[in-house]
Amino acid sequence: MTAAPYVPPNVIPPPLQRVAPLLKRKWFRELVLLPPTLTRRRFSNKTEDYGVFKPSQIDHIGQLSIYVQDIERSRRWYEQLGGLRHSRTCELEPHPFKPGWTIRCCYMSAAKHDECLVLVEERDPAGKVTVPSGMSFFHTAFEVQGNLLEDSLGFAAQSKAAGFRPNYGPVRHNGEPPLGDGETGGNVASYYYDPDYNNVEFCAAMDTIENYSARYGDTKSSARA
Amino acid sequence: MNIYVGRPQIAAAKLQHHVIYVSDLKRSKDFYMKLFDLQFSALNHPDSSAAMRLSNQEMHFFSFGFYHHDLCLVKHHKLKMDNNSMLHFTLVARDGAAFDGIRARTATMGIPVREGRLIASAKTLPGQRAFCLQDPDRHWIEIIEEPRQ
Repeated sequence: MTAAPYVPPNVIPPPLQRVAPLLKRKWFRELVLLPPTLTRRRFSNKTEDYGVFKPSQIDHIGQLSIYVQDIERSRRWYEQLGGLRHSRTCELEPHPFKPGWTIRCCYMSAAKHDECLVLVEERDPAGKVTVPSGMSFFHTAFEVQGNLLEDSLGFAAQSKAAGFRPNYGPVRHNGEPPLGDGETGGNVASYYYDPDYNNVEFCAAMDTIENYSARYGDTKSSARA
Repeated sequence: MNIYVGRPQIAAAKLQHHVIYVSDLKRSKDFYMKLFDLQFSALNHPDSSAAMRLSNQEMHFFSFGFYHHDLCLVKHHKLKMDNNSMLHFTLVARDGAAFDGIRARTATMGIPVREGRLIASAKTLPGQRAFCLQDPDRHWIEIIEEPRQ
């Protein structure tokens, strides 16, 4: 008898996945937000209140390493769904911060981002591969080639034809119908669980600082009428 | 009819943003803004967002200065976060001065650092500098300066 595969507690249950597309309907969002509306706790996602007006010390995210149970299985998933390329898989090496533990790393590259993703099998001192908890990050996001709305929709359509089913999307994270789900950022996104239930977003057309400048100049919302 | 089927695969171009779980939003927000000058760009809360209400989460969005969000901090109001699904993530400093500035801030903020790249098998390019640190939830963050092309 084999043990049931581990499903992290934050995984969206299938019934909720089926309801989630309704978030693109304003009436449904209003229904969900009825309690804070009635109790006057409700506020809006005021992105413009926090406009981005100066650069940070960081340019971009360089690399992400995530735990997986089976490098080959995960590698195939990222190659087939995301079009990532396998760069190299290394021999076992000492875990960087757990004495006695080891890791094996598989480096994956995106079209414009060398070795951006590391698939890591982690082994305890007895040599047993650990099971990722799903509770270190909510999701990670790749921008798709082209970076236009239609590229993200095309990605979703091609993925569907290839047999991949998103847990959410395609949606646009703003309030504009027909794709908008009332969230923030403007990105057009689809979300998929990898074989270890790591949640992976593929997106395009996110708002930029220029969008804010075009709309509001250098004036923060607190100083606007 | 799916007009995209039969066309060349639209693939991932690059890693764009990352959304990590934290246990104390204020503590982490202070940490990331003070150490990296991240710009707070949005707040999605169960009292403002239907998706956050359905998922029992609160998300704070931060920008590196170009996109609306590059790094987001999420607090799950029912579940406990841990460090058992992610080994690390890397933040690339804007330039050499920014790399030095972050390093200086770790000293003022009393944050211990570890020299070099975190994973031994990771590539180190000629002239590349790197160090690592942990955020308040013990997420490992690697800071690198990419050599100019």
